[in-house]
Amino acid sequence: MAASDRVRETAATFGDDGESPPVSLVLLAGSVAALVAFPVVWLVLRSLEIGLQQALDLLFQPSTLEVVTNSVALVAGVTLGSILIGVPLAVLTVQTDLPFRRFWTVVVSLPLVVPSYIGAFAFVSAFGPHGVLSDLLAPLGVESIPTIYGFEGATLVLTLFTYPYVFLTTRAALLSFDGTLMEAARTLNHGRWAAFRKVTLPQIAPGIAAGGLLVALYALSDFGTPAIMHFEVFTQQIYVTMWEPNHAALLSLQLLAFAAVVLALENRVSESEEGAHVSRGSGSVRISLGLWKVPALLFCALVATLCLVVPVGILFMWLTRSDPAYAGGGFDFSWIYGLNSGWVALLAALAATLGALPVAYLSGRSDSRLATLFERASYVGYATPGVVLGLALVYFASSTTPEVLGVELSLHQTIPLLVFAYVVRFLPQAVGAVRSSILQVDPKLTEAARTLGESPGSAFRRVTLPLVKPGVVAGAALVFLTTMKELPATLVLRPTGFETLVTYIWRVQDAGYYGQAAVPALALVGVSALSMLVLLKQDGSLVRREGGKDA
Amino acid sequence: MSERRTWTRRRLLASGAVGATAGLGGCLSRFTNQQNENADLSISDFRGSGPMVESRSAPGGTSMDDLPDLDGTLQVYLGGGEGGLYENLVRLLERKYSNFTAKVRMAPSTQLANEIIEVEKGGDSSADVFWSIDSTSLGLVADAGITTELPQRVVKPVPEGFRAGDRSWVGVAGRARSIPYNTDEFSESDLPNKIGQFTKNAGLKGAMGWAPTYGAFKSFVTAMRLLEGPEKTKQWLRGMQNQNISRYPDEFQVSNAVADGEITAGFANHYYALRVIASRENAPIDLAFTKNDAGALVNVSGCEIIQGTDQKELAADFVRHLLSAEAQEFFATRTFAYPTVPEVPPVGPLPTVDKLQPPQIDLSKLSNLEPTLKLMREVGVL
Repeated sequence: MAASDRVRETAATFGDDGESPPVSLVLLAGSVAALVAFPVVWLVLRSLEIGLQQALDLLFQPSTLEVVTNSVALVAGVTLGSILIGVPLAVLTVQTDLPFRRFWTVVVSLPLVVPSYIGAFAFVSAFGPHGVLSDLLAPLGVESIPTIYGFEGATLVLTLFTYPYVFLTTRAALLSFDGTLMEAARTLNHGRWAAFRKVTLPQIAPGIAAGGLLVALYALSDFGTPAIMHFEVFTQQIYVTMWEPNHAALLSLQLLAFAAVVLALENRVSESEEGAHVSRGSGSVRISLGLWKVPALLFCALVATLCLVVPVGILFMWLTRSDPAYAGGGFDFSWIYGLNSGWVALLAALAATLGALPVAYLSGRSDSRLATLFERASYVGYATPGVVLGLALVYFASSTTPEVLGVELSLHQTIPLLVFAYVVRFLPQAVGAVRSSILQVDPKLTEAARTLGESPGSAFRRVTLPLVKPGVVAGAALVFLTTMKELPATLVLRPTGFETLVTYIWRVQDAGYYGQAAVPALALVGVSALSMLVLLKQDGSLVRREGGKDA
Repeated sequence: MSERRTWTRRRLLASGAVGATAGLGGCLSRFTNQQNENADLSISDFRGSGPMVESRSAPGGTSMDDLPDLDGTLQVYLGGGEGGLYENLVRLLERKYSNFTAKVRMAPSTQLANEIIEVEKGGDSSADVFWSIDSTSLGLVADAGITTELPQRVVKPVPEGFRAGDRSWVGVAGRARSIPYNTDEFSESDLPNKIGQFTKNAGLKGAMGWAPTYGAFKSFVTAMRLLEGPEKTKQWLRGMQNQNISRYPDEFQVSNAVADGEITAGFANHYYALRVIASRENAPIDLAFTKNDAGALVNVSGCEIIQGTDQKELAADFVRHLLSAEAQEFFATRTFAYPTVPEVPPVGPLPTVDKLQPPQIDLSKLSNLEPTLKLMREVGVL
């Protein structure tokens, strides 16, 4: 542990000479954090308009307590489920001789590109009462199948479409994990499992926690999936009180309080992460699966079937069914919507990456309270339900009309405001990815550049940035594909006439014309899948780079 | 029953043929459109298809040709909109009037109402007309005091029950609460004709379905609360829970579940059953209606003009067009809604509006949802 202590000390002090982080960096990171936390300020202000007694009544009425219990159970279930699926898959694809490892890596990452509400629709279509499965089983004399609705269904569907967050972060941690440590443990007569538990697990725990955090906050803020699965949670309560914006704001604050608890829990797990990431991965260690190859392959295949074959199969079924409940509706699909989706997602990815750099760099290089606060603040928007965030920004944009050179600039219904909303919602994904790659860069390299006379800014540009490029691109890809899927904030904030794939899917599906939703949904999955490949390719180059260094 | 089944099958066969012809006609008229300043659209451009529709006589009411031409650009905020069907009507108007452009913004109705209110508070209005599929969100915006009074000439063709007393909004299409039931299991006489009886009928135990989180259902409970008082409403909700009623996320799914036999009856808006019939041959589903109570509520899709608009005249003329014979025929035959202009009859097996016995209630009051949500939460329905 002495080595990691030393590293932490180094990181904490910004170099051996005890230099503190540059003021400009702190200011930059602080303003990004303040900017994305601002909608929450609006929520607080709105909540203050309610009297205290009324607020207490609302917070403690029996039905609120019930949705609190439901929400906590859902968040816990989905997070646990994601870890149980994501971690074994990461270990299998990184550290074992699983056949077709590259293939499975891609396949088990892909469920992240399926919007969870489409996944939920597909599961109800496939496994619900009078769904595809019960139609198939009916001739065999099976009268009824267990219901897919309720807590179990909501947990299952959310888990299946969010576990890739855990998979990807754990995988990244494993790739940078020094396999020789494991070998050392085994030579000290530890069994394989004991070695994993005592050596590997503590090293990859921050990675698991980072993914678990994204999963937990997603489960907390998602509206569509629990609604489709007939399971009532916070977001639904917020939606039914929408016409009382103050109440909705108060409930959102309550939800954010839960998010804060989740953030604090994650922070405790990650406390020792500096030691975890700085070591160099060695791709050479491979655990031989032996007889376990078959169950391991079956596990991968089962996950792939549930997460990819079922939803894509159902979409193709919608596509080919021609009866009016599936076809019909009056609004034709246009490929422009795909271009619109891609365009705003690209802008959001660029903006989020730029915003993430100072926050991630400061938090990766400094242990100060301020750095932690800024990093944590970036998660606040991620836990805010999209529709609440959307309305906050509508109010802001229409009451604030800045004047530039005598021209009034209204942000209302503009692309910049929409992109800002995406940044608020998805910044932490970029921060997480950039931060973990910054942790892998030895601060001594930057120091060396400084001693050679480079300014801090130019040392960052010339030394650190090229080294963290894979993390930056991965973060951008992650923001890109989650923005492609985002619905509620898009509906509130997009310019009139600006349709995207998801707004089109919403309007035909809302009226029940499922067939009309198939083409855009498949297009959405296809485009997102391409960005997922970019993400994984960065992973690959990371491995090659690190491997090359070792050799 | 057998008569209806034949009707359904013939209807489906015919609708294919008519659809193909209409499609061709549409292309041709679009082609000729380019030469004409004002395209000559006939009633068949607005009408849906199918045998019932073919045999309909020309609708009464005022034709678009007798209304002032639409000229200018209008921002239409469209809450809901039937998967684009409403927007199609707007595009037909644009085809008819080459100088008319409508910018349509579509989102869930409550969300859009909130957006309009937030924007008006901020003082930067962009909406000219709010056209919503439910009177709740219309009332929400009207209660915020940001609508203008509709001119008398606009609201005149619509009976008093389907427009706001203060002329803040007017209904353009109606949706009736109904009891879809499975015709293999029940006949209409098995079902009570008072909503209060549904909690007491032993034959309905475990047989019914509802969608309590669905907007239309909450409007229905609000109507019951206003008519019967909160205590009786709570008793009714509890009574239905004691009947082991099944929950669904929306009323199209309730109606589908009825046709599937998953449940034998449900509470849903009328047009969902018609859509189930249109989508599946021989679906064993029909509609029953209660009398003079909240169970027979007729809610409306309607329009209001937003105060900050600088297009008042155009907005008013636009709403008049939605109440024309052609547009009313469009709502009746393409969305299966009740026309709100009495001269235009509803489609298919539906009883005419005057045969329905809706309760006497001011639809604007349905926007007062908070007490409804409170009592629904108290009994554990929400």
